[in-house]
Amino acid sequence: MSRPRHAAGPLVWVLVLAATCLLLVVFQKVLWLVVPFLFALIAYYLVLPLQRRLLLRGVSHDAAAVVVSVGIFAVLGLAMAFSMPWFGAQLSALQAGGGRYLEGGVRFLGDTLAWLEANFAFVARAQLGETAMAGLTDHIENFASRHLAGAALTVATWFPSLLLVPFLAFFMLRDGWRFKRFLIRAVPNAFFERTLQLLDQLDRTAKGYFQGLIKLTALDAVCLAAGLWLIGVSSPLLLGIVTAVLAWVPYVGSIAGCLLVVLVAATDHPGSPSVAYAAIALFVAVRLLDDFVFMPATVGRSLHMHPLLTVLMIFAGGAVAGVAGLVLVLPVLGLVAVIGETLGAVLADPRLRARHRSACELLRRQVTRDLPA
Amino acid sequence: MFRLFGAANKPAGAFPHLASLPLFAGLSPRELKIVAALVHERGMLAGEVIFDEGEEGQAIYFIHSGEVVICRQGDAGHPIATLGAGAVFGELALVDGGPRSAQARAAAECTLGVMFRGDFLALMESHAAIAAKISFQLVRHYAAIVRRMTAAGARP
Repeated sequence: MSRPRHAAGPLVWVLVLAATCLLLVVFQKVLWLVVPFLFALIAYYLVLPLQRRLLLRGVSHDAAAVVVSVGIFAVLGLAMAFSMPWFGAQLSALQAGGGRYLEGGVRFLGDTLAWLEANFAFVARAQLGETAMAGLTDHIENFASRHLAGAALTVATWFPSLLLVPFLAFFMLRDGWRFKRFLIRAVPNAFFERTLQLLDQLDRTAKGYFQGLIKLTALDAVCLAAGLWLIGVSSPLLLGIVTAVLAWVPYVGSIAGCLLVVLVAATDHPGSPSVAYAAIALFVAVRLLDDFVFMPATVGRSLHMHPLLTVLMIFAGGAVAGVAGLVLVLPVLGLVAVIGETLGAVLADPRLRARHRSACELLRRQVTRDLPA
Repeated sequence: MFRLFGAANKPAGAFPHLASLPLFAGLSPRELKIVAALVHERGMLAGEVIFDEGEEGQAIYFIHSGEVVICRQGDAGHPIATLGAGAVFGELALVDGGPRSAQARAAAECTLGVMFRGDFLALMESHAAIAAKISFQLVRHYAAIVRRMTAAGARP
């Protein structure tokens, strides 16, 4: 993404960081709207190239939005119809083996802790294995009574708002350009070109981020699935997709994905912990590949942030808005940074402000020409 | 309320104006419709500065009605050129996005069509037929400028 040529000062950056944190706090309060909006944005930027192709063939915006939406629904419907038996089989296998996978994971953890106690005296003295296993057993035994009702309620609350996703995506496709023109019409002539540039950069940043996220997820899923298939873990593709999607939540999602993979690996091969260790090694390798190769080539390219600032803002996002903050902080920071930098450059330009004042004066003179002084 | 983004945003408003511009000569009605969707309309008051010399060029302008003078910065009394309806200016920005070579100012109240450089470049990248036709007209336009400058230089 090309940045405005006018470098933003420290004041602009302080305001950008403060605005990002404030927005995250606000977004956390209206998460029921922000999450569907986020998914709709991802869907919108995913199908936007298709709509652009139709527009460039002379199809109107409205017709292109309808054709693309109907086409996507038809393709998704067919894909679901064909993959339902496979997904059903995978899900019922997971459901049937859920308890088995949990037991396998606990057994793997117990074996690992026992090995650590046998080999390291300080671990044995701390009775790490006994303490950890007691806590874990208590958590597993009471998990259903403590969390299941809450989880069911959360799903019931979220389901209606997630139904908004296709509607929001459709209206973004159909009316997004109208909204952009509507905004542009309100901009004074003096700031017009710079505002066009701002909207273009916003669009490029959001498009780069969300399309990059999809590419990153696909790359992660393929690498993990290939690796898991090579080391002999069952359902490698499903596990690859689930763990790649979980990685949308920085840190927390990656840990959850790794735990899932280890549970499955430890249960599939109870006699050989080396498979579970290989799965952990694979996960670490894919994460490193993700952070240093895939991320800079996909999502990172759209944000152009200093890595230290990115990491600090992820922690800040988590601190002010929890898991939602972790997920939202990077796209919000990217967009607020573009708005802040460009607005800073526009409003701090004395020539543009003077031109705007001059235009206002011209207008005032024109409309008061026939009025007594 | 439900007409919020309605008729005022219809791109077809610029359609008849664009058809009369030499830059878009040769485009079919369907291609003109595609280009019109990318053009914004702006109204300027007499004396209003459209862009300054040295400013980063991000758009090309078409005069739908009215008159525009191209001059050195702040020297509107000695215009380099006076342009009327149908003329195009700011076109150098399309090629290099560099600084504006002169100031543009509305000599009379005018209506302009504006196309953002990013939209223009995206159109060039994605629509070969339109790209070829507009590029050819741009080359003709630049050739005419070079001829005029050469003739002016050769004059005693």
